[in-house]
Formats: sequence, C-alpha cells, structure tokens
Amino acid sequence: MSHDHHHAPVASRYDLAPERSDIGLIRPDRFTGWRDWLTTVDHKKIGVLYGAFAMFFFLVGGVEALGIRTQLSRPDNDFITARMYNQLFTMHGTTMIFLGVMPLSAAFFNFLVPLQIGARDVAFPRLNAFSLWTFVFGAFVLNASWLFEFAHLSGWLKSFGWYNALVYTDFAPANGWFSYAPLSGTFGQADAALRAPRFTGVGTDFWIIGIQILGIASLAASFNFICTILNMRAKGMTMMRLPVFTWMTLVTSFLIILAFPAITVALIQLMFDRQFGANFFNPSAGGQPVLWQHLFWIFGHPEVYILVLPAMGIVSEVLPTFSGKSLFGYPIIVFSGAVIGFLGFAVWSHHMFTTGLGPVPTAAFSLLTMAIAVPTGVKIFNWLGTIWGGRVRFTPPMVLSLGFIWMFMCGGFSGIMHSSAPADSQQQDSYFVIAHFHYVLLGGVLLGLMSGLYFWFPKIFGRMPKASVAYWASGLVILGFNLAFGPMHYLGLAGQPRRTHTYHAGFGWETWNYVATIGAFILGIGVFIAFANLVWTAFRGEKCSSDPWDGRTLEWSLPSPVPEYNFARSPVIACRDAFFAHKHGAHRLVYEQDGGEAGVHMPSQSWMPLLASCGFLLAGLGMPMSAMGVPHAGWVVIAGLGVLFLGIWLWALEGPGGYMLKTPVAPAPAPAEAAASR
Amino acid sequence: MMSRFIARVGLLVLPVIALLTAGCSEADLKVRQSTFDAKGPVARMQYDIFMDSVYLVTVLFAIVGGLLVYAVIRFRARPGDENKPAIVEDGHGNPVTEILLIVASIGALVFLAIPTLKGIWYQDDVPEDRVPAGRLSVWYPRVEGGVENYAEAVKDQVLEIDVVGKQWWFRFEYPQFGLTNDGRRSVPNELVIPKGVPVRINLRSEDVIHSFWIPKVAGKVDLMPGRRNRMWIQADETGHYYGQCAEFCGDSHAYMLFRCEVLEPADFARWVRAQKQDAPEPPAGSKAAEGKALFAAKTCAMCHNVSGHFGAGAFGPDLTHVASRKSLAGAWLDNRNPEAQRAAEAAAGGNTEASAPVDRAVQKANLIRWIGSSGVLHAEAAEPTRDVKPGNRMHYYKMFNVAGLNETKTKLTPSELDALAEYLLTLK
Repeated sequence: MSHDHHHAPVASRYDLAPERSDIGLIRPDRFTGWRDWLTTVDHKKIGVLYGAFAMFFFLVGGVEALGIRTQLSRPDNDFITARMYNQLFTMHGTTMIFLGVMPLSAAFFNFLVPLQIGARDVAFPRLNAFSLWTFVFGAFVLNASWLFEFAHLSGWLKSFGWYNALVYTDFAPANGWFSYAPLSGTFGQADAALRAPRFTGVGTDFWIIGIQILGIASLAASFNFICTILNMRAKGMTMMRLPVFTWMTLVTSFLIILAFPAITVALIQLMFDRQFGANFFNPSAGGQPVLWQHLFWIFGHPEVYILVLPAMGIVSEVLPTFSGKSLFGYPIIVFSGAVIGFLGFAVWSHHMFTTGLGPVPTAAFSLLTMAIAVPTGVKIFNWLGTIWGGRVRFTPPMVLSLGFIWMFMCGGFSGIMHSSAPADSQQQDSYFVIAHFHYVLLGGVLLGLMSGLYFWFPKIFGRMPKASVAYWASGLVILGFNLAFGPMHYLGLAGQPRRTHTYHAGFGWETWNYVATIGAFILGIGVFIAFANLVWTAFRGEKCSSDPWDGRTLEWSLPSPVPEYNFARSPVIACRDAFFAHKHGAHRLVYEQDGGEAGVHMPSQSWMPLLASCGFLLAGLGMPMSAMGVPHAGWVVIAGLGVLFLGIWLWALEGPGGYMLKTPVAPAPAPAEAAASR
Repeated sequence: MMSRFIARVGLLVLPVIALLTAGCSEADLKVRQSTFDAKGPVARMQYDIFMDSVYLVTVLFAIVGGLLVYAVIRFRARPGDENKPAIVEDGHGNPVTEILLIVASIGALVFLAIPTLKGIWYQDDVPEDRVPAGRLSVWYPRVEGGVENYAEAVKDQVLEIDVVGKQWWFRFEYPQFGLTNDGRRSVPNELVIPKGVPVRINLRSEDVIHSFWIPKVAGKVDLMPGRRNRMWIQADETGHYYGQCAEFCGDSHAYMLFRCEVLEPADFARWVRAQKQDAPEPPAGSKAAEGKALFAAKTCAMCHNVSGHFGAGAFGPDLTHVASRKSLAGAWLDNRNPEAQRAAEAAAGGNTEASAPVDRAVQKANLIRWIGSSGVLHAEAAEPTRDVKPGNRMHYYKMFNVAGLNETKTKLTPSELDALAEYLLTLK
C-alpha cells in the first residue's frame, strides 16, 4: 500500500513518474505555475506567499489609516460618516495586527527557521500549507464584510427580502479591534429564536469568525514551528547555538499557543451570545462585560509581544552582521526574550486600569508593567553592546534596524509613562496611547520587518534591492512616521480621545492633527515605495551573490535562490554564527554524508490542506450571512464544516508520500571563495 | 553614500524639529481638555507623576540615545577595515556590566514606582484628611437652602453624584438632594459641582461601557454596565470645564461630550434649589404653548421628562431646565456665541474655563438643527442635513416596535419645529 521511498532518486521533481496517493489521486508533485503554488508544501514558497499576502494587507490597512487621517485633518470634518470612521479604525487595527504584522512575521519564520537550523523543511509541511491557506481565507472572510458594506452603501442589497428585515445595517465591523462587550454583544432578553437585541450589526459577526479562523491558522503554524525547532536542528545545533531569530520564533510560537486559546474561548462565548442567546457578557442577564476584557487582554497583551519579538529577532541578526561582531550577550538576549514572553502574560490588566479594578490589582499590574521594561531595556543595552567596538557598515537593513532601536526605545519610554496607573488614567484611550503603540508597532515592528525584508530579500530571490531607493523609502517612512505620531503625544495629553470620528474647533487640536495627517501621507508614500521597490526587485532586480552581506548564519551558506532541498548535505554545527566562523577560520563547517546520488527525502505536494482551508472559507462566510438572515446560509456553515472534515480526512488517508531528490554535493565554499564572492 | 543620506535626512528632519519647537507655546498647555493644566488635587497628582516619568525617561533617553548615536558614529566602518581580520568572538557579553545595568534599571523604576503606589491609593477613595471639608453640613450653607435641600441623615456625608452613561449622553443625579431620575429631577450632560470640596462620583452605565473624563479635574474611570465604579474629584477653581466620554461606545462615541460647571458653594446651593423648580406654564395661545402640545403629540414626552408638564419620560434626558444649559445634544452643540466665547476666554487671560452666557439665538438654532436632523424625526421641508449625532435614539420606537408609532406620526413641519423650539426655550 505504501508508496514511501519507492522511487529511485530523481534530479528534479518534474522527472517523477505520475504517482497515485493512497486514495488513488495523482499527487500534484509535478505541477508548475499557479497549481504548484496552490499545492506547495515547500516552506520557502509558503514563506513567500505569506509575505506577499501580508504586504498586500499592509497596503489595505494603510489605505484605511489614510482614510482615518484624512477625516481627522480638520475639525468638524465630514469626509466620511461616523460609522465608516468606526469601521475604518476597527479594520485598520485588525488588518495591521492579524493580516499585516503576524503573517509577515510568519513569512520570515517559514523562510528562515529551517534554513537557520540546518533543516530541509518544517516538521509538518502539509500543516504548514494548511496554516497559510487558513490565514488567507480568514483574511478574506474578515474583508468580505467590506464587500457587503459597499453593496449596502450602493443600494445593491435593497431587492433582497432579508436585507429589508435587518434592524442593523452595519456590515463591516465597527466594534474596534478590541471588540469590547457589551457593545459587541447583546443586551436585554433573547427572543424565542434565541436572538437577543444587539448594539452592532453583522460586521461584528464577520469579525468574530474571521479572527477565529485566523487564530486556527496561527495555532497550527506555531505548533509546527515549535516541533521544527525542537526536533529538526542539524547535528551540533544546540539550543544555545540557535540564531536569535529562531529563538524569538520559538518564544513567539509558545506565546501564540498559550495566548490564542483565551481569545478562542472569548470569541466562542461572544458568538454564542450573539447567535444563540447565551449571556456570558450580557449585563442585563447577569453576564460580566469585564470578563471579555480579561479574556481579550490576556490574549491581547502577549499578542503585543507576538508582534514585537520576531522584529527583535530580525534586529538581533542584522546588527551583528553589519557591526561585523557577534551579538553581545547572546545568552542574556535569549533569556530576556523569554522573560518578556513570560511576563507578557502577567501585565494584561494594564489595559484595564480605568475599569475600576481596585487599588491592589492596579498596583500589582502597575509594578509588573514597570518590571517588563527591564528585560526590554536589557535587549537595547545588548544591541548597543553589539555595535560598540564593531565596524558599522551602513546598508538599508542596518539603517532600518537602527531606526527600529531608536523608535522602539521612544515607544518604550512612553510605555514606562503609562505603566504608572495614576498617570495612565489621563492617557488611557487618548491619542497619547496611539502615539505610544505606533512607536512600538510601526516605528518598532514595521521598521524591524522592513529591515528583515531588505536583509533577506537577496537570499529569497537572489536579487539585490536598489540601495538608493531603499534609503529614500526608509527616510520617508522614518520622517513621515515621526511627523504623524510624534504630535499625537501632545494631542493625547491635550485631551483628545481616540476612536472619535471628529472634534470641534476651539479645543486646540487643529494644528497638530493637520500635521499628523501630512505625516501619515508621507509615511504611506514611503511604505509604498519600499514595497514597490521590493516587488520590482523580486522580478527585475540586479542578481547578487549568495552572501552579499558577509552573513553569519547558515542560510547565507546556501545558493540564492535557495534550492528546494535547502542543504545538499546536512551541516554539522560547532559554534554560534557557524557560517561566519567557517568563513573567517574559527571553525570550518562540516557536512554529513547524506544527499548526493542517494537523494534526500522530499515531502509530496497536496491539495488537501487547501481543500480543508476552503471549509473555513465557506463556514466563515456562512456564519455572518446566517446572522444577516440570508436564507439557507446556515446550511453553508454546515457544508463548510463538512468540507473541512473531508479535507482533513482525505489528507489523513492519502499517505505522506514523498520522493527522493538527488542533490549536487559540491563542498561548501572555502573561506577564500566566500570572501571573494562578496 | 551614507554621509549623503545622513545629510538628506538631516535636511528633512531639522525643519520638522524647528517647527515642533516653534509651535509650542504656553497656551498650548492650557487648552480646554489639557492634562497639563490641572485644576484639582486628583489631576494635579496625576500630572505630577506624569512629570516624574518625563524626568525619568528624559535622563534615560539622554544616556541610551546618546550612547547609541556615539556608538554608531564612533564605530562606523572606515576605509581599510576590509583588510583587517574579522572580529571573531564568542558573544558572551560582559556579565558584570549586564548585572549592573539591570540593577540600575530596577533602581530607575523604583523612582517611578513609589509615587505610583501612593497615587493609586490616593485616587481610589476620598482621602480621610479631605473628608471634614467635604461633609455636607460643614460647607453647605443650610440657612440659604433650607432643610429641603438635603436630608438630616446625610449631613455627615460627602457630596455624592451618580453618573449614568447612556448611548450617547451622561445623566447626573444628586440623590442627597433628591435630584434623581426616579424622582424625575436628573441633570443631563452638564455636571455642576461646588468649588474646593471633594465630591464622590458613583459611575454606572445603562447600556455599553463609557468613560468619565474631565481632564483638568481628574483622569478617567469607566462606567461599566453591571458594576458600580467610583472615583472622587475636586475642582479648585470655578469655571466651565470640558469633559468627554473616553471609551468607544458605538456610532456617536465622538459626539458624547459633557461639561462640568464649578460654582462657589453658595451658588451651588442656589443651583440645587433652582433644579427643584417645575417648568413654568407657557402663556396660552403662544407659540410655546403650541410647542407644548406638540411635545405630547409627537411622542417626545414618552422619553423626556419636563417636571410640571410631562412626567412619563425616564429614558431620554430630562428637559425641565434644558434652556438653562450652555450646550445641547450631549454637549456637542454649543449654545454660546463663538465670538463672545473667544472674547470671554481672552479677557480671562486665555483661561478656557471662562464662559460667555447662553446666546438665545444660537440656542434656538441649535434646537432646530438637533431636533430637525435626528433620526427619522427630520422635518419634511428642512434641508437634508447630516445627523448631528449619527445613530441617536430619537427614533427608538423602531427598536421597541411600539404599535402605531411610525415615521408619519413623528415627522415635523418647519413651523412645528419652530414651535417646539420656542417651547423648549421657556424651560430655563
């Protein structure tokens, strides 16, 4: 029955004879073009797809942000309606966090982790494809709400009976990315159909199911990376020799598997409140709205570190490379990353200082929040120590990483300011907070991720982005960013609350809001140039060597673009920064005697992860449509769950498959060659 | 390449920094909702802690930022470096430095932690040392108000005000004086407190979460449905303060403002007495009398209370004294003449708590705009205007599905709208 390993090794997967899986279908191993991309299980291609979707959604979230800023550019503006404004800030936050930063981090995880640990793929390649497509369909479900909203605004829905029976006509979510109950939930008593009155329309249902699906994608990916990092390291790649980016991937993955269950539970409760008349958060039936906040923020605060730790990992790779010096205090950087992850679960209520927790919990969370500044500070000190005594080469990734440290430090400082609960009671929900977390998440995380893009792009595509364009884009991003968010510190302290559609003249907020809007547009242009530069480079950019930066970690020892089997022969590691040591003579890289004519085992491609994910698409669209009252939409949900189970069932039955691929076994470049190739 | 880049960025950044510093003036720190301009002990304590944190991070910024800039310049790659051997080392760092830095960071945070802990307990409850001055019998001039103003049983208590949040307005109740919604005597959107005494605020919500924030008087505390939160405030100067809901609460969150009038204690007593007056009867045959009839006919009275005229409404804002207030529609519309207000603020030396009196013409225009544009209540002939408060509940019958109540019955003609406004203007 089993077809495993019965092939003779082939030089290319296109040489394979058509092979049937255990359920009798031809395996899609020989596909090229779009069918190859849809069925791929190659971590590098999946990484590229994650990156492409993430950059697309970054631009979507950016356009939403510019809508917000345009509305706020002058007082009493009515560029967009209040409801549209609320929808924009809800979707801006949700998009940037779940569809922008997280998948872009996932793109790096996917592409880099196997390369950095000397592995040929992740532990579960098909699960990896399932994570990708589940993320894509979750993102689509979330944004499908916009399609309904536009159809509603254009009047296209008027001919439908179910539309005219609707009490609420907001289709895109307008509940904020935090979705506080009971605004997102119900009030009063449920009717005979188990529906209680609500404060918001079906947009919230789109949001609930969309986030739920995205959570499944993140959880599956995280288990995959944990298994990969713990089990698939090359010989000699001990935990304390792991590249810091891989370490941060591991910590982030643990944060995801510990944090997402809380939001999963909360979303199920909220969905039950809305769809089936449950009363978890309904105060008029004895529910507790504050319960939502606890569940949300015990997810939501670790989520902040889920966003920032990968960027810290990137910076911890970029700084040593361009300082020509190993990372200062490697053990303590790793350890402080883990401490940040751990403490991240102990500070959630600092988002709730104004909810009336009482003095003891407020004090406890105040002090813990201050405590988390210590490991964060340690990281900054160690990055400084890395630069100290080095030979700093300025390149686009280095400039962006230095920008990361600077902006993140500023964001950290305003974070210290509102770790103090009494001071925070003036800052909470004001523009000061917006300034703070944009310095951390945009000035910090986005610059870190952009640094990573410019750093690894030559490895991913074998082409080098044009440095002059990169500098201009980075300059515009840094300038526009500070112009947009710097003044918001003042605006917040001058009493402007966030999430407000407009404001009156005479409150002293006019000038700086105008300046912030100009900054936002400069920032938008900068990000657009950077992304356009990268996309252009991917197709047309100048080809470059496999190790253009004098890299330190294993991925730079591979050709660019990286072949699908990654390592022709598995490396054996003797120290940290193994490739750098290899090039500069401390420890030569040694390889195992695998691969070659005997071939390496490659996993088979499969349609099943995509099929299973399609089930989420159907169920995800059906759920809010049934809440709208669209006839038979409930059956779509059931059909979607059916497709999901069918996909997983066939996936289980088709057998793992796989084939043997011959690898060229030329030895790794000798130190002299490596130096010459720069 | 790099130096040119730095020069270009410098050329872009320097004017921005110049603009930022040139744009700052003392007036910027005294704007209406400024947290820099604390006018009460709670806000002052919060501001002081904020400034502690500013001092702390300024020092840290100077040290860390300075070292970063120094390191990047001092250790930049120089021509000829490529011929030197690579720096190969283990990257263990320097444990002594690391430990010293950690200890120093903790020390720096203790500097902020101590005032923070003090502040948390200070703002949590009315402090004991302030209570004697806050007791009703101590400061409230009984002779003027008479016993009717507060019960003997509460004479040793601190003044308490219940704040109730609703989509999208605030209701203020003074139970010690019998000014409650159940007694049809509540005060919407304009909180009035006496100067210089601590006031306990009880916070409740009847629908979603709101947040009570008067930046110059105290930081915010949320109004959580199903919970009773509390805070205390005290304003040390009389004047007209500005507040706002600070928790996202739905469509019109941006339009959920409120005001806080701080009066001398004697004026406050007079104000309490005035609140207990019923609305005067409009002269028979007048436009206002016509408006009064419409108030019932167009179902306004189902939700709005006007003491002495209509007593059924408990849902919407109490309108008994609507014409006495300086704002309308959850403080979104200002009933003062903008020119007069600017002049008043200028005359008080830029003090934004100075206030011009209500301008009746502005007030009437506001009433017409507000009622005329609300929900489906818009007047037939009126120009289609953007809702003053999108999603406001003046069409709430749609949700309650009251039989026989529909758009036709609640629609107003321009002359009806005018009559209604005239009636409301008599409710001082």
